[in-house]
Amino acid sequence: MSLSSFMQPDGRNLSKAGITLLMAPFFMLIGIAFLYPLISLLSISVTEPELGFQNYERILDTPVYGKVLLRTLWIALLVSILSLFLAFPVAMAMVSSGGAMAVFITACILLPFWSSVLVRTAAWAVLLQRNGIVNDLLQAIGIIDAPVRLLYTQGAVVVAMTHVLMPFMVLPIYGALRNIPQDYGRAAAICGAGPLRGFIEVTLPLAMPGVLGGFILVFLTALGYFITPALLGSPQEMMIATLISQQLREFLDWPFAAALVGVLTLFVTAITLVFSRVFRFDRMLGGQV
Amino acid sequence: MAGAEISVRGLEKSFGQLKAVDDLSLDIPSGEFLALLGPSGSGKSTVLMMLAGFEVPTGGAITIDGRDCTRMPPQKRNIGMVFQHYSLFPHLSVLDNVAFPLKMRGEAKAARRRRAAEALEVVRLEGYGDRMPSQLSGGQRQRVALARAIVYQPRLLLMDEPLSALDKNLREEMQLEIKRLHSELGVTVVFVTHDQGEALTMADRVAILRGGKIQQISPARELYERPANLFSAGFIGEMNMIPAQWDGSGLVLAQGDRLAPPDTALIGTAPTGAATLAIRPERLRVTAPDAPGALAATLEEVVYAGAGTLLIARLADGTEIRARIPSAGLPRLSEGERIGLAFDPDALLVYGEAAA
Amino acid sequence: MSNRPTPGRLLLMAYVYLVLIFVLAPIVVILPMAFSEPDYLTFPPEGFTFDWFGAFFGNSRWMAASVFSLKIAVLTSVVTVVVGTMATYALMRGAGRLGTLFQGLLIAPIVVPHIALAVALYLFFRQTGLSGTVTGYVMAHAIIAMPFVVFTVAAALSSVDATLEDAAMSCGASRFDAFRLVTLPLILPNVLSGGLFAFILSFDEPVISFFLAGIRDKTLPRMMFDNIEQNLTPVIPAIAVLLTGISIFVLVSAAILRRMAQSRSMPAKEA
Repeated sequence: MSLSSFMQPDGRNLSKAGITLLMAPFFMLIGIAFLYPLISLLSISVTEPELGFQNYERILDTPVYGKVLLRTLWIALLVSILSLFLAFPVAMAMVSSGGAMAVFITACILLPFWSSVLVRTAAWAVLLQRNGIVNDLLQAIGIIDAPVRLLYTQGAVVVAMTHVLMPFMVLPIYGALRNIPQDYGRAAAICGAGPLRGFIEVTLPLAMPGVLGGFILVFLTALGYFITPALLGSPQEMMIATLISQQLREFLDWPFAAALVGVLTLFVTAITLVFSRVFRFDRMLGGQV
Repeated sequence: MAGAEISVRGLEKSFGQLKAVDDLSLDIPSGEFLALLGPSGSGKSTVLMMLAGFEVPTGGAITIDGRDCTRMPPQKRNIGMVFQHYSLFPHLSVLDNVAFPLKMRGEAKAARRRRAAEALEVVRLEGYGDRMPSQLSGGQRQRVALARAIVYQPRLLLMDEPLSALDKNLREEMQLEIKRLHSELGVTVVFVTHDQGEALTMADRVAILRGGKIQQISPARELYERPANLFSAGFIGEMNMIPAQWDGSGLVLAQGDRLAPPDTALIGTAPTGAATLAIRPERLRVTAPDAPGALAATLEEVVYAGAGTLLIARLADGTEIRARIPSAGLPRLSEGERIGLAFDPDALLVYGEAAA
Repeated sequence: MSNRPTPGRLLLMAYVYLVLIFVLAPIVVILPMAFSEPDYLTFPPEGFTFDWFGAFFGNSRWMAASVFSLKIAVLTSVVTVVVGTMATYALMRGAGRLGTLFQGLLIAPIVVPHIALAVALYLFFRQTGLSGTVTGYVMAHAIIAMPFVVFTVAAALSSVDATLEDAAMSCGASRFDAFRLVTLPLILPNVLSGGLFAFILSFDEPVISFFLAGIRDKTLPRMMFDNIEQNLTPVIPAIAVLLTGISIFVLVSAAILRRMAQSRSMPAKEA
């Protein structure tokens, strides 16, 4: 394969033809396997069974579905907040610790990040089962007298999703914190700020882009999350992804499932566009993949 | 082997609204060492990039050895090039770097190694072939880049501020080295620099660029001694510029002095009216303030700098005038003192308004 | 920072250790269960046996799913690396407006939830007969993995001095040779680690696998999903042990590749 004939010797830059040629496979792939399927799915939601928005009206008019939407928002928000509280100190420790300690924390955060979501979900199923460790532990401390149902509850979903998504919060915050020169903290101290004041007045505002980026990433991912709610959640308390799956696989109601996908996709896209300035993917991974 | 002959006609390069190179014509004879000198943004690098083939001109033509190269891709031009930051391939050894152009020309491996080793010898780096570029000092890297550029004996060698990353001592050493190579190889060299000393030291001819146009192109000595216009005069070395009136036969300064410079002092044709008298600071001598032919001035500052002393004085009309006098034999002068500044008639240059 | 930890620092580290326990506990708990004798999951494990690895390797359906997933993952990483590197190279060499479009479309699959992509592809593949085929999975997984590969390659490309290609061309190399002989070797470690990442993403990908599975061919994640949903046997921890092993191997390889990338420009050992 020789691409050279399509490229003009115009300095470092390729010719228009060369660039188009090199990018063509990507655009074909994304067109065939992403844009076209998504658009045709969304078009079903407004054309079947008849032209109009009745599928969307059905979502809004049926209290059960409205509840699913609200529950999804609530769980995603809860997961994001919990992740933030768990992730921020970890990111701080990663930045401030030196050498082996920083590597150890990073490895701990990254290893689950690289291990199968299914395996982690299965692990939570084991931990949370009626005769599982968490129940044993709670009984041993005396919080409960007899085993309680932990699995197939909203709580299980929130805990397991927080566990799965937290690394996505750590990395952008770590990236932001790492870019704050140490001198700033010293400057704040010279100016008379104690460690806490220095943190609130200097570190926190400078870390905000990372915090916001991580928060939105976790929030958006949680909104459409399927595996964990499907395996650990209660069928009576569905999230939107599990509802979509049910409509599709049990009721074969394509137009309605498509409308649910439409609501989810539009909502997620809108949030992304609103926050596009802070939602920079290249920062998401905190500089390490 | 003779160097390439280059002819540039009406060359033009625009980036959007900006004209980086504007109707530039230039002839470079075989074997010449030409320096392109100018401030940043003058278009000198763009000219070089067009000679190399990395930029396509928006107008005009470039001919190398009679062949139209205007739109020819760089790899077909058979040009050697030394880049500003060496641009050695970090994953290849020194020898492989130098042999790279030969590899591109399909030369057999043994011949490649032999010729690359020879080129390393030419730049006095024999035995360094197995090292990686990162193991070399800046000066050594520069030599490797040079070896890579000359290894296949190109007829034209382009250099893009090749010495700007080196420190002063190394730079002077490399200047001589490149000059030596040039005379040994007979190759035509086009050398871009913003360092006038470098241009004057190294080049047969220097082209001064401003705003994408050539201001002057002449041998170093002429460039220094008879700048073609005030820009060249001010750009090369130091120059005192004194406003004056030219009445057709003589020059009247604002403070009343009347000078009669020789005809040779006139640059181009000077119509009567406003003109500028230019004189190099080192051509001035200190005399008594009332000495005949000398300009009376008030001394403002005396800066001792070893071999020479810089005197900063002011004429009666407020024009600053600088003189560089050999320190030896200079009488004790104090600031505020009235002095006279004398000069030989052939030190004078007169520019009419058109030459500004 | 300072030599003597302040009370605040001690508090921070204590909190961080608790978080790390939360992060690691599920994995630490599930791995030993792979060696437990009963056919349900208990902790602490009872007895010791390799039977569950045998159950995995001896079962033709698990094996078929593994091979199927492996095939998909390998192809996904190849497709993603080739397509992604080509596009990224164009992006970094003056793509202009096309580059803006490229970047927008690139992150779209990250923003759009996998469930939406899965449902859309489910419909599309049913219409086109790609359901359950390797081609279908590879296209879907390539879309998901693409941004990760592109960002890895773009990071590498931006750290390679573009004038090196100019230098190569001034030496007589064609544009393609300049890329092949100079730029590619310099970015290769990143390209490969991007490929490894794409492999893992594809091999582990559960959501699209869930929706696209045909009747016959199931991916490994889909088989695992069914097992977890239905009876959750210790085959899952056994697979977890294997997957964690692979992940550690991949992580270490990626780290070595990165080290190699750095040492490329560092002094090599004297011969």
